[in-house]
Order: sequence, then structure tokens, then C-alpha cells
Amino acid sequence: MKRKALALAVSAAMVVSMLTACGGGNSSSGSAETTAATTAATTTAAPAENAGGSSDTEETTAAPADVDYGTGEITIWVADNVQSFTDEQVAKFLEENPQFAGYTVRTEPVGEGDAANNMITDVEGGADIYGFAQDQLARLVSAGALMPISGDYAAFVDSENDAGAAGAAKMGDTTFAFPVTSDNGYFLYYDKSVVTDPTSLDKIVADCEAAGKSFYMEINSGWYQPAFFFGAGCTLTYDTDDMGNFTSCNIDYATDKGLTALKAIINLHKSPAFVNGSSLSSATNVGAIVDGTWDSGAAQELFGENYACAKLPTATVDGTSFQLGGFGGFKLIGIKPQTDANKMQVCLAIAQFLSSADTQLARYEAVGWGPSNVTAQQSDVVKADVALSALAEQLALTIPQGQYPNDYWSLATSLGDTVIAGEYDNATDDELMTVLQDFENTCKSYAQ
Amino acid sequence: MKEKEPKMHMQHRRLSNAIAYAVLILISLIWLFPFICLVLQSFRSYTEGGGAMVNYLLPKKFSLDSYKALFGEESQFFKWYGNTLIIATFVSIFQTIFILAVSYSLSRFRFKGRELLMRFWLILGMFPGFLSMICLYFLLKQFGLTQSGAIPGLILVGFASSGMGYYVCKGYFDTIPKSLDEAARIDGANRAQIFGIMLLPLSKPIVIYTALVAFMAPWCDYIFASYIAFGYSDSYNVAVAMYRWVNTNDYQGYFTRFCAGGILIAVPITILFMCLQKYYVEGVTGGAVKG
Amino acid sequence: MEKKSSGVFAKVSAFFKAVAANLKEIGTTFTEGDWKTKVSYVIMGFGPLMRKQYLRGAAFLAIELGFIYYMVSFGAFYLKDITTLGTQGRGFNPDGTVSYGDNSFLILLYGLLSLILIALLILVWRMNISENRREEQHIKEGRPLPTVMHDIKSLLDEKFCFTLLAIPTLGIFVFIVLPIIFMICIAFTNYDANHQAPAQLFTWVGLENFKNLFSFGQAGFGGTFITILIWTLIWAFFATFLNYFMGMAVAILINKKGIKFKKLWRTILVMTIAVPQFVSLLYVSKMFAADGLVNAYLMKWGIIKTAIPFWTNATYAKILIIVLNLWVGIPYVMLVCTGLLMNIPEDLYESARIDGANPIQMFVKITLPYMLFVTGPFLLTQFTGNLNNFNVIYLLSGGGPQHMKLVGGAGYTDLLVTWLYKLTINDTNYKMAAVIGIMVFAVTAVVSLVVYGMLPSVRDEEGFQ
Repeated sequence: MKRKALALAVSAAMVVSMLTACGGGNSSSGSAETTAATTAATTTAAPAENAGGSSDTEETTAAPADVDYGTGEITIWVADNVQSFTDEQVAKFLEENPQFAGYTVRTEPVGEGDAANNMITDVEGGADIYGFAQDQLARLVSAGALMPISGDYAAFVDSENDAGAAGAAKMGDTTFAFPVTSDNGYFLYYDKSVVTDPTSLDKIVADCEAAGKSFYMEINSGWYQPAFFFGAGCTLTYDTDDMGNFTSCNIDYATDKGLTALKAIINLHKSPAFVNGSSLSSATNVGAIVDGTWDSGAAQELFGENYACAKLPTATVDGTSFQLGGFGGFKLIGIKPQTDANKMQVCLAIAQFLSSADTQLARYEAVGWGPSNVTAQQSDVVKADVALSALAEQLALTIPQGQYPNDYWSLATSLGDTVIAGEYDNATDDELMTVLQDFENTCKSYAQ
Repeated sequence: MKEKEPKMHMQHRRLSNAIAYAVLILISLIWLFPFICLVLQSFRSYTEGGGAMVNYLLPKKFSLDSYKALFGEESQFFKWYGNTLIIATFVSIFQTIFILAVSYSLSRFRFKGRELLMRFWLILGMFPGFLSMICLYFLLKQFGLTQSGAIPGLILVGFASSGMGYYVCKGYFDTIPKSLDEAARIDGANRAQIFGIMLLPLSKPIVIYTALVAFMAPWCDYIFASYIAFGYSDSYNVAVAMYRWVNTNDYQGYFTRFCAGGILIAVPITILFMCLQKYYVEGVTGGAVKG
Repeated sequence: MEKKSSGVFAKVSAFFKAVAANLKEIGTTFTEGDWKTKVSYVIMGFGPLMRKQYLRGAAFLAIELGFIYYMVSFGAFYLKDITTLGTQGRGFNPDGTVSYGDNSFLILLYGLLSLILIALLILVWRMNISENRREEQHIKEGRPLPTVMHDIKSLLDEKFCFTLLAIPTLGIFVFIVLPIIFMICIAFTNYDANHQAPAQLFTWVGLENFKNLFSFGQAGFGGTFITILIWTLIWAFFATFLNYFMGMAVAILINKKGIKFKKLWRTILVMTIAVPQFVSLLYVSKMFAADGLVNAYLMKWGIIKTAIPFWTNATYAKILIIVLNLWVGIPYVMLVCTGLLMNIPEDLYESARIDGANPIQMFVKITLPYMLFVTGPFLLTQFTGNLNNFNVIYLLSGGGPQHMKLVGGAGYTDLLVTWLYKLTINDTNYKMAAVIGIMVFAVTAVVSLVVYGMLPSVRDEEGFQ
């Protein structure tokens, strides 16, 4: 059995407290003192291991073949549309790595949103490896559903992926997941025969109105809504610590910039062509839609010859115009905390494999997910993709999506729903400013 | 509101009947409309809108695409269908036994604490069921009845607490005269025999009603079943599986398949229901009056 | 069922008297009893076993042994931490594996189970004492004690009800009572997204969550709770009575003399009961979306210019839900009313007609009072059922639209129970969900008690037989 050289980085006191934690974990006598020690130890352990990890090199990644990894079962949750792809890749992996032959791997189709919810409900009953969208990271870390990744694996995440993706896999300084895509952003799909000029929101909407088609954008989602706010120059980010807690909130929505953005949203809602939504499969009368790469297949089918993509347009309010921005997001693969050291090694190896350049490229070819791996991003096929290049253009205008508390998403939906209900249609600037001030205060109240 | 027109003139009666028919036809159309839509959508070809939602009623091209997809080799639909059938059957059997047992006891026996028990159960019924979802999950997990063991788990949860739903059945037993029991006792039967040999055959409608209601519930259970079976698709019931098709972005173009699946569930249940409608009506009416 | 109480005070004093009497009997049984009885105070069932009451004795003994086994192997471990809900947090070992500490959730759950089992054991212990006392009296008076055979037979005869009730009651205890007590306790802890077992501990916080429910500040739940409570009551009222009257109207229409194919009309309506709601309601919900079927056709026919915001405007959404609920509820009420309407004696109507009453008068004077009288309990159960009508709301509107004035992810069409569900699933805010669950109970209980007292048809239960 392989163990990292712990004496390097871990102080003697910490070892003692760790051993107490191991031994006393399930037995009866646990005093308040040990808790304090353990919690302290946990927080210091992760960076310490990072530091120590870089010194002991090949051991972890190369996974020597002569070690007995025992047997076990590993469950992987992935979205339904990549399940068969993941099956193939895992089979390939096990073939290439006979030392893991004792493990059977089962994949289950569990959507990214459900995966996070289910993991949080019962960590122990959840999957060993699972895919999720980056906005769930803080929730999952705080619920203890992700193991910190250290040493070579953390270095792998940093070196192989674009900076945004590597940052998205971190809480504080600790890496918690392997990136798999950098395409979790949105841009404009449109029907060439309807929309003549995709650079201006007003023109898109006017074209849709004239053609009797609809313009879809999910303005009641905390994910799409910042396209306006960030585009107008506002900020909304949260700082977190290594434990998944939100420490502070940086927001300036209650400013003239925020007011411009909110007015742009209200103007959009007033158009009869506007429909709130972002799912092509339930949209019925699309002239243009703000959506992501996962719908590119459906969009090509729907628009046929008139299929076209572009970065988001500019919005114009009271004579000033601004380019819509928004989030650039990432999809990640995480591992739940393991109690068995061997199985943990196998899980790490599988997750790393699923995040590697070859697999990402193969995944792009199979299902069109845009890679986060820098090597894969440079391949010709990826560069030639229409949707991905529109996205790349848009991503240049966005901020990498950080971590947001769960309540933020709900609050943003409330703001969007209130706009859609038409309550601000005739509101004065002062009234709108009060709304923004409320929004800002509530956002701040989520960080302790 | 429509009122009767009891004038003796034939013409008046005819007119009022014509209005009544018109209203009834209108009502029937409204009530059938969603089902007609479901049927039409389920036969829509994939070449139109790729199985996604559309905003018109009549498909331009009919095909069996959606049904083929459900029956296809890769589809787990019939696995889920079978799961639901198993759950529904067992829940139906055990729940009927439980309810009959409780109803008989409360109807025919006067024991110490009986009133207290009934009142206690009445109060328990006022707590919303979702409250205890997470607790039940961990209780079942303790016995290995979640995820891969979710089917027996769902059966257990389905019937274990069903004794509280005794009202309708007890009401029915109350209407069977006690003098019959007395007569049987004089003939030397004990109470178990009275229950099995005499009372049950007299209660056929209520037994069928109870079993039917219990059988239908698992087909609609998407909340609790998804909570218990999460992350293990072999244990899903049909509602959990299909609910995902229309509510997560992972499934593009599953809408017509959802409609087709809905039809495949609805048709057998509707036929079963129609055959047993008589008993259902009897149970509902009796239950409503007894409360 | 409800007996007139002679004041709370009388009940309380009666309770204490009963406790005192019990204690006294326990004492006298011990002092007056023989050695077998005295040993039974420690080893339950000892007395009955020695007196050849094998079945009873063995049952008592088995319960005691089972209890001891449970406590030693399982229960005591959780019970000892119930005051703190655990102190030992989770930690990561140097090799990266995790070692879980105390699991607050399981400590609370099995701690409560242990407490309940202790209470039940005391009850059984008390029965054990009575049993000893009764046996001694029988022997003293020279009467024979029941044989094992007799005991078994009685379980199929005069005690058959206990045989029948045993397993269903156990089921209710494990799957209803225990979870409810557990969730009530959760309302007094800080179990939420930031305090999740097994990674983190949660602990008792007293009335903190209830204070939050009634705090009307910016992040307080107060305003939202009141808004949702009012809508819940309005919804239940309309959903119940509109369905009731419309359903009765349809039943009257189908029952009307001269209407043919009565069975056909009924069958068409009843189909909605047979088709699973998650299929039919989900479809209907999509029909009314902004770009759904209804809006598309209305626009195509030129009736409206812009789509009607059925689900995004709070008022429209509320009205639409009540209307669509008619589609769900009318068939059910129609079934109930059909049979009952036929029970109204025809000569009542006949004599009214001779007196020159018109149909509306007859409906108001004869049909309605009769129906209200007979279906009173039905209306009550419908009303409390609608207070918790999860499916209709969740499948149709999902509780939306949300609003800046509402916190906790609540929307304007949310009922308390759908809000509870959202708090559990989306926010894992179990503590507030538990508080709202208790509120749902309170509302249901108050409504039931008030209405139950007003029902005209509340009669002596025995009167039916």
C-alpha cells in the first residue's frame, strides 16, 4: 500500500490529532477539544499536502502496475447524452490499466443539476465520480461531497487546462475537481432568414416581431441575467474560503450602470416577440435564442440551412449602447471523499483520464462538448466549429464564472419574474434604483 | 349553472334537453382535449421538430417513431414499466390487507384506547408527508432499501403506513349489520372466521375499491420514488424516468416520447379503471358520506 | 368522536390522579406480591413463566432481552450524544482518505428511536406488573389461569383485533410517527445547507427558526410566510367549493330526465382520474406556456396580439390554476354527487312543484341543504386535502412566478407544502422546511377543529350501526 510521505509537511501535533480522528471517529468518546483540533487540522491539511505533493513526484500519477489495488465497485454519474461515451472511455481506460482490473465501473445517467442535489442529500449513497456544472462547486464542497485534489493531480489540473477552467475547479486555494469543458457559456443562435443583423438587440427583436417569430432568452435565470448587468459594467462576485463558505460579496448593481442594465431587460420584456426561455426543445417559434453549445445539434436541425450563430448583441438604452456580457462557465468532474485509499487512487486515475486531452477531444467529436484542455482546444476540428467559435468570441467578453451561493440563483429568478410580470414597466428611475438596492443588499446578506 | 326546466310543454323540454346536450358535448370535448393532444403528439414524426415541443395540434406527418424509440433495444422504458407494475401490484395487495385488518378491528371491536388510537391517527394525518422524506430515506437506507434496493423499499413505504387510510373501508363495514356477526358466533365461529368467511365476501366492492386505489398511486409517484432510487436507473419507476424527459436539459427532443410513454401508461390503467368503475363509484360515494 | 371536554384543568388533574394511582398500584403490587412478582420487577415475565403462563412470560422476557440487545449494540451509542448531536467533526487523513466523525442526523434519528423505545419499555414493564398482580389474584381466589392454548385462541377471537392491528400499527409507528417526531425536532436545530451530515455537525438552537419565520425584516421569512399562507387558504377555499358546486351541477345535468347515454358522459369525465396526473397536468401546463398551444392558436386566429402571460403574471397564474383544477376535481365530485342525488326522495320535489316552486328555488331549498348535510365530512377532507394539494400546483406552475418581495425561493402560487418541498430539495434548508411543516399541521388542525364542530352531520358514531 502506498502512502504519501506525510512527515514532510504535516506537523507532529497534526498527526496526533488525525490519528485521534481516525480512531475516535466511530467510537464513543469524542470531546470538544479533538473537534477543534481536527477542524484546524483539516483546514491546514489541504494546502500542506499541496506543498508536500509537489515534492513526491511520479508516484501518484504513474500508478505503478505492481501495486495491488484490490477490488471494488465505482459508480460514475454523467449526463444522459454522454453516458455511452463515458462507458466506452472507461472501458478503454481499464484495458490500458490492467492493475485496476479488480474494479467494476458502472455509469448512470444523472443530469448535472440532479447529481449535485442527490450528492448533497446523501454523500455516502452518491456516486464516486460525478459530473456537475461549476456553479454547484461551493454547495458541494460545503456539504462535504468533494474530496480535495492535491499533488500531481492538482498540478495536472493547473497545467493542462485553460486558466478559467483551472480556477473554476478551486475553492480558495484548494482544487476540488477536474475540468472537462470550457463551453458552459451562452451566445446567440439565429435563423438567417429572420434576423438580418445579429449585432444589435433592438434589430433582432424588431426582425423577430416583423416575421412573427420569437426571441428567446431566459432573463429570469441568474445565469443569463448577468449578460445585461456585466455587459453594462457591473460586478457581482463572491469570495470563498477553502470550506465552501462565502466570506464577502463584491457587487455594484445599485449604480447607474445597473440601472441601464435593468432598463435594457425591461425593454426586452416589453417586446411582444420576447419569450422567456432557453431550452430549444420546448421552444416552439424560434427566430433567435440565447443558448449554449449543448443545444447546437437541436439548433442545426431546427434552422436547417438558415442555421447561424453569433456572439451576443449590443443593447441600447436611452441612446447609450453596451455589449452584452455574462458568464463563461465550465463543467467539472469531481470525486466524493473516499474512505478506502486504494479506491481513491483508482477514482483519481479515472477522473484524470476523463479530463485528459485525448478524452476531451473524443468527447467533442462524439457529442460536441467544447474542451477545457489547452491541447484539445488547439486542434483543427475544434477551431472550425461554428457554435464554438461564436462562443469563443462571446467568452472573450465574459468573466469566468466564480462561486455563487444557492440563494443568489433564486433571488435572480425573483428579479426576472418580477420584470416579466410587468411590474416595472412604468417604474421611475428612483423606483428601479430601490429595487437594485434591495437586490444588492440581499446579495450581500448571503455572505457572512 | 344549468337548471332543470320542468315545464310540461314538450317543446320546452326539447329545448332544454338540446341545451343540456350541447353543454355535455362541450364538457366532454374540454375533458378529452388534452388526451387527444397527447395521442396526436405521440404519433408525430421525428422529422418534424425532432421530437421537441411544437405549437400546433395536428402533426404534418404521422409515424411510430416515438413508440419505436420506447420499444427500441437501448430503451429502458419497459424495465421501468415493469418496476412500476411490480411496485403497484405488491402495494395493492399488502395495502388492501392492512386496510381491511385495521378497518375490521376498528369497526367490530371496542377495546381500551380505540378512540385514542383513531384520534391520534387523525392528527398524524395532518402533517404533510414531504416533511418526513429525508428521514424515511435514511431509515430505508439502514436496511439497504434505497438505490439498488429501491423497489422493495418503495413497496414497503407504499403500504407500511397505509393502515391510517381506514375511513372508507371502516365506514363500509359499519353498514354491515352486527347481527350477522352475532348469528355466526352462535354457530360457533370465532372472530377470525367471521372476518374471513363471512365479512370479506360481503365486502367485495370495498376490497376492489381499496385495491384499485392502491394500485393506481405508484404510477404517479415521481417525487418520493426519485428521492429513494436516485442515481440507480435500474430502480426507477416509470414516472421518475419520464419526468426527467421534460424537465432537464439533458433530454433534447424527448417530448413526443413523453407523450407516447404517457399513452402507454394511461391506456391499461384506464381500461382497468373502466372495468372496475362500478366499485370505485361505490367506494367514493360511501367514503364521502362517512368522511 | 369529539367529546365535550369539561375544561383543560379537569383533564390535567385527571391525568395526574391517574399517574398517582398507577404509582400506588406499582408500590402495593411489590409489597404485597410474592417473590416471583418481585423478581418480575427486574426480569420481566419471570412471574408468568413460573406460573406456567409460558406465552405471556416469554413475550415479556423477549421484549426485555430485545430491548437490552438493541440498546447495547446500537441505541446507547446514539442516545448518549442526543443533547449535543455530536461533537466530533469530519477530517481528512494524510493519505487523502476521509474519516467521518459524528453524524448528527443519525444521532438524532436513532437517539429519538431509543427514547421512544424506552418509553414503550416502561409501558410494557407496567403491563408486566399488572399481569403479575392479576395472576396472583386469580391464584388467591382459586380461579384457573388461562392456558397457552387459550391465549392463542383468544388472539383469534376476542383479542383478534390486536392480532390484526399489530403490524399496521408498527408500520405507522416506523414510517409516520418516528419521522414526524424527528422532523419536529429538526425545527429546533440548525440543520441546513451549511450544517449537513455527515460532513458537518448540526446542533440544537432552540426557537431560533420560529423567530425567523415571524421576522419581517429583509431576509426574514415573515412576509413571505403570510403571503403564502393567505394564498394557501384562498386556494383551498376556491378549489374546494368551486369544484363542489360545478361538480354538483354537472351531476345534476347528467341526471336530468331525458338525457341519454348517462354512462358515456360519466365515463368521459372519469377518465381524468385514471390517467396519471404527472402526464396530463404536465402536458396541460405546457399548453399554456407563453409559446404554447393555447397562445399560438389564439394568435393565429387573431383573437390576441401578444401572448397571454398565463404563468408569469401572478394573478393570471392563480386564476388559471383554480380553473384548471376544475378539470381535475369536477369528475370526482360528480361521482360522489351522482349517487347521493338519486337518494333524495322524488316526492319532495313533487310537492314543491305543486307549491309552484321554480327549479332554482327547489335547488336552494331541497337539493343544496340535503347535499351539504350529507357531504359535510367530504367537504372537510377535500378542504384539508387541497391545503396540501401538491401535485396540481407543482406540475402546473411549479409555484411560480417568484417575486423580489418573496424570500426562500417562494413564488406567488406556491402553497405551504410546495414551498416546503422547494426548501427541502433546492435549498436543503431542512430547518425552515420543518418549521413550515409544523405550520401546515397547525393550519390543518385549526381548520379541521373549527369546521368539524360546525358540521351538521356530526353524529354519534354508533348511530350509524
